[in-house]
Amino acid sequence: MSQDLTRRTVLAVLAGGAAFLVKKANGQIVWQVNASRCINSRLFEAGVEACNLCTTECVVALSAVRAVNEYSKCGRCNICPAYFNITSAVNELGQPSEKLCPRDAIARKAIGKVDPEDPANNFYEYIIDEEKCDGCGKCVMKCKEPLGLGSITLRVRYDKCVNCNYCSILKACPQNALMQLPIDQAL
Amino acid sequence: MSRLPQVIGRACVILALLAQTALAQAIPYQRPVDTAPQADSIGGGYKVPAVQKPLPRDYWLQVLDVVALAAAMGISVWLVLKRRSRKWLTALTIGSLAYFGFYREGCICPIGSLQNVVVALADPKYSIPMVVTATFVLPLVVALYFGRAFCGGVCALGAIQELVVLKPVQVPRRLDRALGLLKYVYLGLAILFAVKPALARDFLICRFDPFVGFFRRTGAPHMLILGGAFLVVGMFVGRPYCRYLCPYGGLLAWCTRLARRGVTITPNKELDCGLCAGACPYGAIERMRAVRRNCLYCARCYAYCPRERGVAS
Amino acid sequence: MQYRHVQVIDGKGALRGIAVDGNGQLYAAGDSEIRVFDRNERWPTSRPAHAVAVASDGSVYAGEIGQIEIFNGAGKLLHTWRDEKLLGRVTAIGFTKDSVLAGDAADRAIRRFDRGGKFLNNIGKDSAVNGLLIPNGVVDFGVDAQDTIYAANPGKHRVERYTAGGELLGHIGRFDGIDPAGFTGCCNPTNVAIRDGIYTTEKAGPRVKAYDFSGKLLAVIATDLFDANCKNMDIAVDARGRVYVVDTVKAAIFVFEPVKV
Repeated sequence: MSQDLTRRTVLAVLAGGAAFLVKKANGQIVWQVNASRCINSRLFEAGVEACNLCTTECVVALSAVRAVNEYSKCGRCNICPAYFNITSAVNELGQPSEKLCPRDAIARKAIGKVDPEDPANNFYEYIIDEEKCDGCGKCVMKCKEPLGLGSITLRVRYDKCVNCNYCSILKACPQNALMQLPIDQAL
Repeated sequence: MSRLPQVIGRACVILALLAQTALAQAIPYQRPVDTAPQADSIGGGYKVPAVQKPLPRDYWLQVLDVVALAAAMGISVWLVLKRRSRKWLTALTIGSLAYFGFYREGCICPIGSLQNVVVALADPKYSIPMVVTATFVLPLVVALYFGRAFCGGVCALGAIQELVVLKPVQVPRRLDRALGLLKYVYLGLAILFAVKPALARDFLICRFDPFVGFFRRTGAPHMLILGGAFLVVGMFVGRPYCRYLCPYGGLLAWCTRLARRGVTITPNKELDCGLCAGACPYGAIERMRAVRRNCLYCARCYAYCPRERGVAS
Repeated sequence: MQYRHVQVIDGKGALRGIAVDGNGQLYAAGDSEIRVFDRNERWPTSRPAHAVAVASDGSVYAGEIGQIEIFNGAGKLLHTWRDEKLLGRVTAIGFTKDSVLAGDAADRAIRRFDRGGKFLNNIGKDSAVNGLLIPNGVVDFGVDAQDTIYAANPGKHRVERYTAGGELLGHIGRFDGIDPAGFTGCCNPTNVAIRDGIYTTEKAGPRVKAYDFSGKLLAVIATDLFDANCKNMDIAVDARGRVYVVDTVKAAIFVFEPVKV
């Protein structure tokens, strides 16, 4: 009989603890890159090599971190330094001959009123293929002010992130640029 | 006039507090869009496309994980205590390894959730979703009634070791007991590191999970080597991680003291042949009786028992 | 041609625009004031000042958000031209013989007014398909002695020439990330000044250059003096050929003078 009593006590303790935790529960907590800390997007860090720890440290194949272009903040430049390697030789179109992305994950298309004669007259949309991107941060670094407008940032993709208890990118990140926050507050 | 500095001081404190709360809740990297050309400026019927925002695993799928966990434990209990079938339990083991291990990539698991529960209890600012609480509590409740049903056929870490047991040797009883204490030391350390303040916090169990690298098909080389070593050792010493290191196993073992039922070897018609004790790779049969504390619900003893075969036919 | 760096005028706060009058008097627009150097005067503006210019009659025009404020040479406010639509964000002001030009960055256009403030026409808006492409958020231009307007079109890596009526005459400049004769980056030059030639500033990395009117590079005036995070560095050139450039991060004005070789 005494055994039953103790089991009941243990169950009561478990139920009490669970009730406490459930009451405290605040939706899902996810990892996100804090772009104002990330050296690739942080302001006043012009001319620094891009950091690619998000690619190399993530436990998910190809990384759960991807570069995301916030279209409304994009300057839509003809010579986008995140799309082109702007220090490569200029070709006959007056554009740099090389692209920046090592995985060719960025596509561009002319938008709005298009001048087919002179590519410099147009606005361009830059679309990142998230299945190709591995979050190496090269384009993020080049898009940043003052060179660009900082529309591209690194973000954790929740459908890929396995929500480790201790993010292995954070473990390696010298800027402590990953943070946990409730899903409704995360980008 | 003399009160002015005080007022300013207080205002500063309030401002500092406000700033702190604002920082704590700040969504990263918000800056006003003032120079980027917008749709009306671009013209030509252009519309700014929405930025894709992938959602995490749907809530109902997360609940499904918990339901799958509960169901798998129910099946495990039924297969071992009622059906007494090693064959079907092996099928369940493979299924669990595929789903909880390789499909869900080892997350979330009750073993790791132990740390989150501890942190959520200790840190007023940290909270865990309901599914994590349920994942942690369910196997313990089952253990309180039926023993370590979670360990047999459900736990992915157990399953991967279960399937490599090749030629198990009996570990000397004393050594087995001494090594078994390690898991309580590990449990203590895991709790100790988890209750540290947020920045110093570490999740030892996840960090040193030897098999999660296999489940995710990627990982630090030293952890993959460690996992490989565990599997190689596991061919000869049955389920070494479960028996000697798993901190959650320690909790489950404690719960089994109160269990109403557990694995019983052919009650009332024993032959005292000892075949079952020889078959148990985990040293969980003492004096022809399954020790609930150590029994990992693998059902090998049934498979090797002449009486069981009689029962089956 | 070569230039040497002669002086730094240090400041604090937000420094956005500069201008030099015929006597070499330097005016700076920033925060909510026009600062007159040497005389050490500060004229408050009712809104943050983005641009400053001095007319031939000595009156000083301050470009702000939604308005232009006009001071006389002693700093007395004479007029306020307010128009939230035509003067969305005035980042440059210039003069032809009979009109006042204001660069409105909010609508990517240069507005032409008569001396009384009556709107005459737009310049650069929608010309060559999309008009002035200014992701950097600043319209800047200069006017030569023949009333030709030289507007920076950084998105095209060009300086475009317009008539006062708004007709596009041509351009100088091209993109080049290696050759200093071209403009680098996403969108350069951001600012332009006209005197005996075309003077430009670029961002990322900051660079000041002088071209002749045919577009031939005469000199790279400076590159590494400025804070690497500067952008939209306003530039002014006085009658003696001294070049004044704003470092927007350090809130300082760098002065360069030509050196005869």
